[in-house]
Amino acid sequence: MIFNIQRYSTHDGDGIRTLIFFKGCPLRCQWCSNPESQSFGHSILYDSKLCKNFGDCALAEPSAISTNPGGGIEIKRNLIAEPEKLKEVCATRALTISGETKSVDVLMAEVQKDLPFYREDGGVTLSGGEPLAQGKELVLLLQQLKKQGTNTNIETSLHVKWEQVERCIGLVNTFLVDLKHTDPRKFKQFTHGTSGLVLDNLEKLAYFGAHVVVRIPVIPGFNHTEREIMQMVDYVSTIKGLKEIHFLPYHTYGVEKYKMLGMDYIFNNNTQVLEEELLPYVQYAQSQGFKAKIGG
Amino acid sequence: MFNMHNHKDLKRKLEDEMIDTKQVTEITERIAQLREKVLSSKPTVCTERARFYTEIFRDHEDEPVIIKRALALQKTLVKMTIFIDKGELIVGNQSSSHRAAPIFPEYAVDWLPEEMDELDKRPGDAFYITEEHKAELKEIASWWKGKVLWDRGRALMTQELRDLQDSAIIKATGNLTSGDAHIAVDFPKILEVGLQGYFEEIKLHHEAVDRSDREGIRKDKFYSALTIGLESFQTFIRRYRDLASYLSKESDDPQRINELKRIAENCDVIAEKPPQDFYQALQLVYFVQLILQIESNGHSVSLGRLDQYLYPFFQKDLAAGKLDEDLASELLENTWIKLLSVNKIRPWSHTRFSAGGPLYQNVTIGGQTTEGSDAVNELSFLVLDSVGKMKLTQPNLSVRFHKGISEEFMMASMKVIEKGFGMPSFNNDEIVIPELIKMGVERDDAYNYSAIGCIEIAVPGKWGYRCTGMSFLNLMRVFLATLHDGYDSQSGQTFRKGTGNFKDFSSYEELFKAWQQQIKYYTRKTVEIDTAVDTALEEHVPDILCSAFVDSCISRGKTIKEGGSKYDFISGLQVGIANLGNALAAIKKLVYEEKKIGREELLDALESNFEGREGERIRQLLLNFAPKYGNDDDYVDLLLKDAYMEFIKELENYHTTRHNRGPIGCKYYAGTSSISANVPSGAVVPATPDGRKAFTPVAEGSSPSSGTDLLGPTAVFKSVAKLPTNKIMGGVLLNQKLSPAAIEKEADKHKLISVLRTFFAELKGWHVQYNIVSRETLLAAKKDPEKYRDLVVRIAGYSAFFTTLSPDTQDDIIARTEHTLSH
Repeated sequence: MIFNIQRYSTHDGDGIRTLIFFKGCPLRCQWCSNPESQSFGHSILYDSKLCKNFGDCALAEPSAISTNPGGGIEIKRNLIAEPEKLKEVCATRALTISGETKSVDVLMAEVQKDLPFYREDGGVTLSGGEPLAQGKELVLLLQQLKKQGTNTNIETSLHVKWEQVERCIGLVNTFLVDLKHTDPRKFKQFTHGTSGLVLDNLEKLAYFGAHVVVRIPVIPGFNHTEREIMQMVDYVSTIKGLKEIHFLPYHTYGVEKYKMLGMDYIFNNNTQVLEEELLPYVQYAQSQGFKAKIGG
Repeated sequence: MFNMHNHKDLKRKLEDEMIDTKQVTEITERIAQLREKVLSSKPTVCTERARFYTEIFRDHEDEPVIIKRALALQKTLVKMTIFIDKGELIVGNQSSSHRAAPIFPEYAVDWLPEEMDELDKRPGDAFYITEEHKAELKEIASWWKGKVLWDRGRALMTQELRDLQDSAIIKATGNLTSGDAHIAVDFPKILEVGLQGYFEEIKLHHEAVDRSDREGIRKDKFYSALTIGLESFQTFIRRYRDLASYLSKESDDPQRINELKRIAENCDVIAEKPPQDFYQALQLVYFVQLILQIESNGHSVSLGRLDQYLYPFFQKDLAAGKLDEDLASELLENTWIKLLSVNKIRPWSHTRFSAGGPLYQNVTIGGQTTEGSDAVNELSFLVLDSVGKMKLTQPNLSVRFHKGISEEFMMASMKVIEKGFGMPSFNNDEIVIPELIKMGVERDDAYNYSAIGCIEIAVPGKWGYRCTGMSFLNLMRVFLATLHDGYDSQSGQTFRKGTGNFKDFSSYEELFKAWQQQIKYYTRKTVEIDTAVDTALEEHVPDILCSAFVDSCISRGKTIKEGGSKYDFISGLQVGIANLGNALAAIKKLVYEEKKIGREELLDALESNFEGREGERIRQLLLNFAPKYGNDDDYVDLLLKDAYMEFIKELENYHTTRHNRGPIGCKYYAGTSSISANVPSGAVVPATPDGRKAFTPVAEGSSPSSGTDLLGPTAVFKSVAKLPTNKIMGGVLLNQKLSPAAIEKEADKHKLISVLRTFFAELKGWHVQYNIVSRETLLAAKKDPEKYRDLVVRIAGYSAFFTTLSPDTQDDIIARTEHTLSH
């Protein structure tokens, strides 16, 4: 299931890229900026700013959606069995359904649209959610992309079974691997996963000679200290074959989406991180022999 | 592999640093002062030209018009006030003070007494005029009553054509209230032979005239007029020589004395002979540019490929140690300031179509040589950087893109674009040159094309007027008439009846058939109006000097308008391109295919301007549930193409008034470089089926409608490239707005260049320009104009000072999509 296709992406891999966002993520980090990417099923988003109170949604799902006398609506998401039926109900698109099952052929057609723009270094980046958590279509898609010579990147947390990673080696030009923390306790506290799995997979991936770029999201209140970042960089130094680290500053652009999904944003350290704050990290990584930069 | 990558990075880094050092050069104190002086002068009017022209026309009623115009030009050039400003190195003024617009009463003057008390209260482009001048202009206007171009052009039209014009479905106000221009003259020849060279050529032809022949009599007067005109031009230049000489004697600053002596020497040489060096060449180019804008009040008088024809002078002087880059840059900067001091005043009805008082004096750089190699040279860089340093609205700078253009030059262009004043814009050799050749333009001429005015193109020195800029056709008014059997609700008239009512059309095909019939009718009417306008222009306001400087007027003994130019292709402007596609797609999908909206229901919603809950619901459906042009969606892109092709196919049946009179071509093509016309054009269009509310702006040029392009620049490029761009040689205008952050980093600039390379080299895009300015800045400037006096924005095919725009246009600019790149 796909929740977005973004063309002309310039910050997730080299060159001009088309980003395909897969829906569903086992890790569900607290600071996640794409909360609609977490569930493997459809998500219902409601943007009260766009609502003009036409009431078509309440007519379509009377048991789950009610209109407020003062404007706006109440949604009981658990009572909506088939959210996709609400797809074309709202004229203003205040109520939208995120998530669409797309065949490999349809995705390939989307990719073709920007083919002339990829040129020497651009291509396709699969993102999410967690793309590696997808079924066998993921491999089919990668095979087709490889067949037509399109450069592919995968953005992944590596928080999946090794087999799910292994099947993509040789099909993916670059793995953009999110390394969030090396401390298992802290990792567990802020995500729904275990760091051991990630670190194991990362080491194996490097061992198999895959081209990997390590991406460290710098999150205040989680890992935004010199000590923690240095620990992570030092850890990466121990793995042979890893040469490049990108630091991604935390941002709060996703907070509004939690509201739209009826979710709570429990991560409360929501101060924007400025790029300059990351400069010492970049310098440290460079001093350890890495190619390092801010941003993707 | 790794090493290669590193090498590339290193090279880029070095290139970047190189360009950086070029760009950090400060502007000199002199330039800063001259710039500030022009920027701070309030626009006024100057009555001198109007007075001289009126006197000559009054006292020489018996003379043929071409002689009257030669004598009037002569009187103006000999008598008008001239001045040399403190510190300036390039001299020449259009009127008695900076930014004082001369008056051209012979084109249209009735509007002036009517509007003169309101000129300083205009919401945009205000002018300040003294009571004394008002009185004089009233007197001048009364003499011209019934004699001006406007009256004569209207008299040539049928009542139907006048009604169409008055209804604002077809607009030709600019064409009948001003001169033609939209032209670049033959600067390379002027620099090669000097003014004296023209006298010799004219004399030769004049002596051979057969006065026993009807044509011969006319030619005799033409050559006499050219001689008077050129002699007056010489006198004008010599007046500056004498003034500079006089001032040098008055001055006690040794440096300035030398400068003034040099100015006097320059003028002395170029009044007669070809220029001897870069400085003199540039001065002569500026004088020609100036004189054309005293002779006629047409705009878009362009300088052509300045980096090519000045390069031999530049190179020679550099080698001889007579010139360095700093001095060359200072001279160029001074010239750009002088271009800005030229000004025009237009009736409010026309001003609204060209907000910001632009003169569109285009300079084109880059492109290819006639051998097909990269024509970029050191002077191209210098022109680019000097325009970047000035950050003014003039000249309008265009870069000709081609496959082989260097990354270094593209990067230098990006760094100027980043400054956020909309320049340079890009034209594309990869489509223009092959298409020109297909149209019958000789290969070498095609390789020498330049941008004219905004974005349109022509072969400088060989092409007639108005490669674009004929009448404006309001496509959405035509579309609404199509829904109502030709009835136009704004004028209450039915111009083309019998194509049926939308409420009776049971299929999209029936609607499209009605469109075919309607657009065919309106296409023909634009040509009929253009023909009346061109006939009036030819008979009543022939240009003398402009004709002298365009190939092959002298050898044919004809003005440009009589068929003197080597090539002649023109275009009108079609406004509301994106709206047309979006309206068709919305109706096809929502009314006919999905039946979400009924026909009557849609008509009611349009009529009520989407009033009420139901009206708004329909508007939201139209906005959100139908494909929109600009998102690389074939559904709408191809509907638009088909609908536009109906106009283009019909246009191919017609020719210009110069047909069979000499020039190659004499055909029409389509054009969309519709300046700021999208605002006033929208202001006369009721609600439309694309969800656009009544009287709000329509889409600009060939750009997507505001806020409807949701997939970023590559999708926009793909959509635009699906238009029949090879038939829209009048310009496929695409304006993209980027936030400053989008190209702040070096890597992002390279990515944008990479996208441009695909758009141009592979998709054969026609043009693009960038507005790099944040929404916050615009909002702040609207609120506090004093602080943002020098904020320049890209409007359509040109740049304007934001604070001089009317609030409507300001809002429109603010509302346009801002592509912020992903984070």
